[in-house]
Amino acid sequence: MDKYKTFLADNVITEDKVITFRLLARSLGVHVNTAKQMLYDFHKSQNDRRPGAIHATYLVYGSKEGVSHSSYGTDGDIKMASSPPDVDFVSDSAPSFSLALIPEERLKDELAQYNEVVSIHVYSIEPGPMKDMALLLDAVEEVFKIDEEEDFKKPNVVVNPQLRRRERTHPAIKSASATTSKPVKQEVKPAFAAASLKAKEAPKSAEPAAPVAKASAAPTTKKAVPALKRGGSSNSGIMQAFSKAATKVKKEASANNSRAATPSGDDSSMHPLSDDGEDDDVPQPKPLETAGGRKSKKEREDELRRMMEEDDDEEEDQKEKSPTPEEEPIEEPTAPEPQKEEPSEVVTTSANGRRRGKRRIMRKKQIMDEQGYLVTIQEPGWESFSEDEAPPAVKPKISAAPAAPAAKGKKAAPKGQGNIMSFFSKK
Amino acid sequence: MVKLEDVLDSSMLKKPTGDQPEALERSDSNYHPLHTFTLGKDLQYKQQFADIYFLRLTKIKPSVEEIASAEWEGTVIGGETAKKVERVLDVRQGELCWVAGTVYVDMPLKPNILEDVSKDRWISAPSTVQQYFSGDGRDAVMLEDDSGRIRLVGDVLKSHILVTGCIIAVMGTENINGEFDVIDVQIADLAPQPGRWELSIKPSQNDTTKKTPKPKDEDVEMSGSPSPSQGKKIAFVSGLEFSGTDTSYALDLNLLLEFLLGDVLDPSAQSELSHISRLIIAGNSIASEAKEHQLAEDQPGEKKSHKKYGYDSSSYNPLPSQLFDKFLAELLPSMPVTLLPGAHDPANASYPQQPIHPAMFPKSRAYAALPGAAEPGWLDTVTNPWEGEVEGWKMLGTGGQNLDDMCKYVPDNDRLGLMEAMCRWRCSAPTAPDTLWAYPFQNDEPFVMKECPHLYFVGCQPEFGTRVIQGPDGQMVRLIAVPSFAATREVVLVDTETLDISRVKIAT
Repeated sequence: MDKYKTFLADNVITEDKVITFRLLARSLGVHVNTAKQMLYDFHKSQNDRRPGAIHATYLVYGSKEGVSHSSYGTDGDIKMASSPPDVDFVSDSAPSFSLALIPEERLKDELAQYNEVVSIHVYSIEPGPMKDMALLLDAVEEVFKIDEEEDFKKPNVVVNPQLRRRERTHPAIKSASATTSKPVKQEVKPAFAAASLKAKEAPKSAEPAAPVAKASAAPTTKKAVPALKRGGSSNSGIMQAFSKAATKVKKEASANNSRAATPSGDDSSMHPLSDDGEDDDVPQPKPLETAGGRKSKKEREDELRRMMEEDDDEEEDQKEKSPTPEEEPIEEPTAPEPQKEEPSEVVTTSANGRRRGKRRIMRKKQIMDEQGYLVTIQEPGWESFSEDEAPPAVKPKISAAPAAPAAKGKKAAPKGQGNIMSFFSKK
Repeated sequence: MVKLEDVLDSSMLKKPTGDQPEALERSDSNYHPLHTFTLGKDLQYKQQFADIYFLRLTKIKPSVEEIASAEWEGTVIGGETAKKVERVLDVRQGELCWVAGTVYVDMPLKPNILEDVSKDRWISAPSTVQQYFSGDGRDAVMLEDDSGRIRLVGDVLKSHILVTGCIIAVMGTENINGEFDVIDVQIADLAPQPGRWELSIKPSQNDTTKKTPKPKDEDVEMSGSPSPSQGKKIAFVSGLEFSGTDTSYALDLNLLLEFLLGDVLDPSAQSELSHISRLIIAGNSIASEAKEHQLAEDQPGEKKSHKKYGYDSSSYNPLPSQLFDKFLAELLPSMPVTLLPGAHDPANASYPQQPIHPAMFPKSRAYAALPGAAEPGWLDTVTNPWEGEVEGWKMLGTGGQNLDDMCKYVPDNDRLGLMEAMCRWRCSAPTAPDTLWAYPFQNDEPFVMKECPHLYFVGCQPEFGTRVIQGPDGQMVRLIAVPSFAATREVVLVDTETLDISRVKIAT
């Protein structure tokens, strides 16, 4: 019961933080009304011990005097004075209530302006009088942050039984309530991990794979009850897709193996993924959500490619292939932010003059979604490799890559992003 | 006068009791949006704008003429009987007659397409003129139809609000200068008003009536509870103006959120707040770009040099829409929201503005309707103007551009008066397409009010205002000028039974 006292003492007195009732309620998982009482109690007990120890801001809701009538426009109007409907300028009176934040030292004076106070409670407590109310915004931000992470246990005061959310794939899950969603969540994680394992064409050790799976599963588990439903459904969508397209993916991946892997390793050494300047803190949508959009983009790209002449097909292919893995994550990085920090290569064994390990590659994958559309998505994945020391695939590639990319590649590199448009601007 | 001692026995100013307060249930929202202003996907912009005027005239003229003939039939002035004239061109000099047509107000300060063309200005930037009205007598009022145009003069015009595009009937004579000397003016007055619960099915109090055929069955669920609609309210707010640079009212926005969620106040007040069944946002949820730039003050002109294909983070600040998305995502679990675009919002600039695409809101779009779904979304992004039936009341609302534009035509700032005039002219955007950008409609003129709404709200206004106007056939319209939240910090609450208004001002 006294947990809140230690919490408040730690935060307000020791850390000089501003704590609002919502932040307290979220932090301790209590009802907001209880949190208001806790703030009051803490404030009172502290100030009883030592007056002025901490400062409180009150929220007062009520009606003030002198605001019952609102006149519209100016009264002393010259032009219309002769016209009969002078009343037209006056709007109907409407009772006005005031919802105000009042620091404790002004409380008495402010209250005197009220006709009636409907409700009053402690809004926040802080170490001392606030110079700027904007300091409360930090607490507000924190509440948002907590809500974003775990709003499934958000104690909403007013619940809406009619709430409707949009479900992407499985309408059946719609009925899943907070209680049933937990098992669902637990199911999802291993399943998803398995899916990514499968996609990775048998990685050498499961250990590095685990963080990947965890990271990709993280957004879904973090989300709230309703969000979780969506996450679950999108996950199952992916799984469903895998089950259908697994063989195709494998084939494609192995076909693209040398070509796709090397440029990506090459590129990331030149200008790593996180450097493309675009993947700022914009919350990135989930891959399947916007699959339609990507598809059309893909189509456009394909069209452009077809439009180009056939002669230097091989080179163009190279050029396009290498930018795409970089370009795509800007739009929709499937991987959450933390994964970016991971190295693009993990070398597990380096004995015998041969390196074995995994490296990150972007893999293209075509899946059939629930509506029967073919959707191509880019997915970061890990690909195991085993090769000689001093990655031979990289160097030969550079030399093997004909002269054209040397010039063009250089041009694209400073931009941090190879773009199909840069090909056109060149001409 | 409230004393400090009086409030100290508030239930929230006590030691925590430890008992878990019961959860409150939000009142359901009976909601039936109409798609009057939705534009089709295969739009042509080649056609001329004349059709709008023609359609408007053919739609409203009969009712104007009906009223005018009732009023003026057999009127004898100076031994001469007033005759009806079909076309403006048929007006003969010296004959007492009356004629109906469209008003055109010519003002020197008004943007003029002919002038633009003659001076070779082909880029149409939005007009920056604050007021077209000059008051120096150079403004001319004319009456036109498809046959011709005649200039109106007379003192009686001064007592009427007249803007381009409204349909009126005038009685008088043509004088020697070829001007029409107006003796009296008549307008269409309020359109027929539908009854309450015309479109949506009234939630039955006792479950004996047949089940609602509507897809949403919440009415049925709610019918068991004691008095579901008692004291239900709808919240109106506009001009939230989420900004990436100006945080001066960020705290007020947060208080608004907490207020609507019902997190603030004590249990009795919270139960009152739980009756707010819907939030209607009437435009300008995102701060204007001009304001952003003015506040941002980063190296001007320097970055303009290179043009980047696609997303350019130097010229686009995603923060305002992110903040707004966060606001919505927090609110939506508790309350359905209807979102009208406004002048600053990411929607098309011309009337009718089409809904803001839910893709703008990555967090809250899960609440939006699926494309092509019959059921309105929990977050319903709608057109501006927008029409619908909420709790059985026919509502018409706009994001404010129509009224702001009309205000430029008149000397005073009587916004409620202009709103009333719009209802009585039966046209929600008379100045479109003259000074208010609009889509060149060909087959239908949706701005004509075929039916009189019960509630007409206009968002993004400088000040709150409300009034009830009455029509000849007992129509009653509640007008609300919804103030811009960024300017006034006010939210308007409308009682769904009585259409009574209260407002809440947030102060920090």
